Amino acid sequence: MSRKIGFAGVLVLVLLGAIVSGCIGGEETTSPTTTEQVTINWLSTQLNPPEERAFVQEQLLKEFKDQSGIDVNFVPISYSDLATRLEAEEQTGEVTIDLVADLHGGLDFFNSQAWLEDLSGKTLEGRTFISTFEKYATIDGKKVYIPWMSATYVMVVNKKAFDYLPAGLTQDDVMKGTEKWDYNALLEWAKNLKEATGQPQLGFPAGPKGLLHRFLHGYIYPSFTGYQAKNFDSPEAVQMWNYLSELWQYVNPASTTWDAMGEPLLRGEVMLAWDHTARIKNAIESNPDQFVVVPVPRGPKGRGFILVVAGLAIPKNAPHQDEAWKLIDYLTKPETQVKILENVGFFPTVQEATGAIPSGPLKVLAEGVTAQSATPDAVVAMIPNLGEKGGQFTDAYRTAFQRIVLKGEDPETVVKELGPQIKALFQEMGQEIP
Amino acid sequence: MNEETKFILKKLVFYAFIFTVVAWIVIPIIISTLYGFALPKDYYDPKKILPTSFTIKYVKTLLITLGALDGIKNSVIVALITIAISFALGIPAGYAVAKFIFPGKDTIKLSIVALRMFPIPVMAIPLVILYIRLHLIDTLLGVALAHTAMSLPFVVLITSSIFAGVSKELEEAAMVFGLTRLGSFFKITLPLALPGLAAAAMFTFVMSWNEVFVASILTLAHRTLPAQILSIMAGASGGAAPDYYKFAAAFIMILPAITFIFFARKYLVTMWGITLK
Amino acid sequence: MKVKSSYIPYFLILPAFAYLLFFVGYPLVQALYTAFTQNGHFSLATVRKTFTDPYFWDALKYTITLAGVIVPTQVALAIILALGVNRVFKGKDFTIYALTIPLTISDVAAGLIWYSMLSPSGFLNKLLLNIGLINNPIYFFGYQYRHMEFLAIVLAELWRATSIVFVIILAGLQMISHEYLEAAEVFGADYWTRLRKIVIPLLKPSIQSALIIRTLFAMQIFGIVWILAGRDIPILAGEGFYRLTELKEYDVASIYALVIAGLSIILGALYIKFMKAEYLEVRG
Repeated sequence: MSRKIGFAGVLVLVLLGAIVSGCIGGEETTSPTTTEQVTINWLSTQLNPPEERAFVQEQLLKEFKDQSGIDVNFVPISYSDLATRLEAEEQTGEVTIDLVADLHGGLDFFNSQAWLEDLSGKTLEGRTFISTFEKYATIDGKKVYIPWMSATYVMVVNKKAFDYLPAGLTQDDVMKGTEKWDYNALLEWAKNLKEATGQPQLGFPAGPKGLLHRFLHGYIYPSFTGYQAKNFDSPEAVQMWNYLSELWQYVNPASTTWDAMGEPLLRGEVMLAWDHTARIKNAIESNPDQFVVVPVPRGPKGRGFILVVAGLAIPKNAPHQDEAWKLIDYLTKPETQVKILENVGFFPTVQEATGAIPSGPLKVLAEGVTAQSATPDAVVAMIPNLGEKGGQFTDAYRTAFQRIVLKGEDPETVVKELGPQIKALFQEMGQEIP
Repeated sequence: MNEETKFILKKLVFYAFIFTVVAWIVIPIIISTLYGFALPKDYYDPKKILPTSFTIKYVKTLLITLGALDGIKNSVIVALITIAISFALGIPAGYAVAKFIFPGKDTIKLSIVALRMFPIPVMAIPLVILYIRLHLIDTLLGVALAHTAMSLPFVVLITSSIFAGVSKELEEAAMVFGLTRLGSFFKITLPLALPGLAAAAMFTFVMSWNEVFVASILTLAHRTLPAQILSIMAGASGGAAPDYYKFAAAFIMILPAITFIFFARKYLVTMWGITLK
Repeated sequence: MKVKSSYIPYFLILPAFAYLLFFVGYPLVQALYTAFTQNGHFSLATVRKTFTDPYFWDALKYTITLAGVIVPTQVALAIILALGVNRVFKGKDFTIYALTIPLTISDVAAGLIWYSMLSPSGFLNKLLLNIGLINNPIYFFGYQYRHMEFLAIVLAELWRATSIVFVIILAGLQMISHEYLEAAEVFGADYWTRLRKIVIPLLKPSIQSALIIRTLFAMQIFGIVWILAGRDIPILAGEGFYRLTELKEYDVASIYALVIAGLSIILGALYIKFMKAEYLEVRG
């Protein structure tokens, strides 16, 4: 008898546990039973750092709710997790994601897998999207996503650094991005700065969460080899790595601790820095008179830089498509776009908002970005898209950097080892090597 | 130096030692709490060792906007389910080990001791594939099931040692007076073991509450507190968290821990003594 | 109290045992399968891929070195603390309370707490700068300061997990009968002799088990390293985590799980060998 009761007890407890967790632990259901109240799931690889998330949730989504009455569950997610989850949902047909925000490349990939709705028929009133972005968003006649934000990576200069310019390079060269503003000039400048101040004054976000890999594949690689990955193990690449190792002597060694360059610039630990516009915005804002934003230097093959376009897309068979569209409508309104620029430093994708940039710190930022895009020798790179393998692409560049520049391994050996791996990634996903 | 000064000196050295030890534990906690509420300008001011102006902004943002409050809720749910299941499975086993003599008992006890050592958290890696198939991925039940596996050997060992402590004579007397074995368990053994079991529940709670590897691997949206904090501070999606968010997070994580140990301190030392012996 | 139905204990133990067997057995088999097959065929490609990755060897090296530095220091520290506290003095309760606080603090929290002490604008740096002992902040974090990062991890882990060892040793100390010590004192043994001849030998089981338990848990070290050093200091659990969550390489991640399991099984076997006699009797 005893064991019967004991067993029953076990069973009851297990069931109880299961029920409790079933109620609270399951997917956040959007129970449409009681009222009209819906919650839409918005998964985003953008605006993930804490302060940016706080802005989305405390300001954007609050205002959106006031206007439309729709609740939004904003889920920050890494690109590879997003790809995995979207794939699982599209394959099982149980789609819970209503809206995804990701970079052009990622959305392009999702579209190639037929995971996205065609947004062609729909219109948004009172705004004109910048035509370049519009063109990117239309793939094979299908409107894959709505351009939402754009950004790039630039250099920030503390004006004091102009006193130590190398011979032959003028402040104007740097500000406008002329021929003379090249990677050799940067090396000379950084060297001068170190010799004059006793401290290395150049900084990169090479910390664990920094975006140095973007500098590697989107800036210095195209500048030296003409491509992001195609010439990964070419002789030009070896030359590039040798250059970077030499440059690194004049880079503040605390770089490997920095995730964003805004703070080190503000604290005066470096006078020259490269980073994402959103991550240097706070320095410009705090001291707009002290800093200028300038184009990146050029290399033998041109001035490589990344153009970041983030878009909003609706997954196929998403449960709340109309509500998701309303959110897209809200997020691309000129007023919202200006708000995004002011708060998190991402640039508008609609013309009405571009004209409305207020003077002051943001103008400093905008001028630098415009100067960079206007350089005649631009080699524009888009961040490639590899689905759930996306992490392996950036990992390869970071590994190469660590082994060659930080550990001092022979560049040729390392690129010969990693090059085939990178190329294999693109072949596996059936894509052209950028 | 006479005996008396020697004595006083000895005492002084001893108290200096105790003071150092306590300071070593307590100062980091005080500092991180102060920094958790400090304004960034104070934190970045090299002249200010201790901040003087404070804000609750970052703690609030973390709790409400960034979902630490949900993380706390999830952690509590996971811990409670873990306690429920591991007690349901562990108490009978602990009782059997304590009160019965049977062939193979030593082997079973030894295997439970050995299983306690097995890196069950790491086993969450291969578990992911099964969880995806069973739709347990990203559910609190899924995390709790894995946490149960991790805490079950401890629960068996603790409960067996608690039941062994309940005197046989009392139980036998009860059975002489006509109680069945099960009756004597519920009327005599269980009430006597209750304080010990409560402490064991606390132990299980803390284990599950602090676990981060399993929770980070098995969940994405429904994260427990440590997993939530880890993903905000160092996750693939988060990252680039300014320092003052890190301190606010530290405060949110240590406050429950310190409160908890204050109330449970009587049991904890014995409990850890038993389980880790 | 004679137990007639001798299957009762097995029945009581079975659910717990089956549960554990499943949660250990299934993942092990799955890990072996994922690691050693490719498209359904036996293959060593993943093993080769893992073992030729410098990160794997670094991770193995750092996991073992961290354990080698942290565990003995912790045990030594805990013995000193337990011996110091195990007497009557004013403030004993508070001291023990303070020493046990880290018991409930998770590794993630401990990492964050020590970050506030050691960051470039953290407490330690500002203190030393203001006293004038240093002119530039000491950097504890970042790849190029890996040895300092290592030190930061050691400090944080000593702070967090010495409590556990302390509690084990203190429990062991309190079980030593006063009669032994008093007898020794009567025979004129001084403190050090008593310590060496009586206390330490009687503490040996506690010390041994503390050593082995801490070593085993050190093989799984994760949160504290992940918060303080990221992948600058690779560790086995962290690499497994990274491979799985960021690179989606289930196969390589499985090998990391297997390596940690293998290390633990070896250490666990040692543990059982040492402890066997201890556990054959139930102790209250």
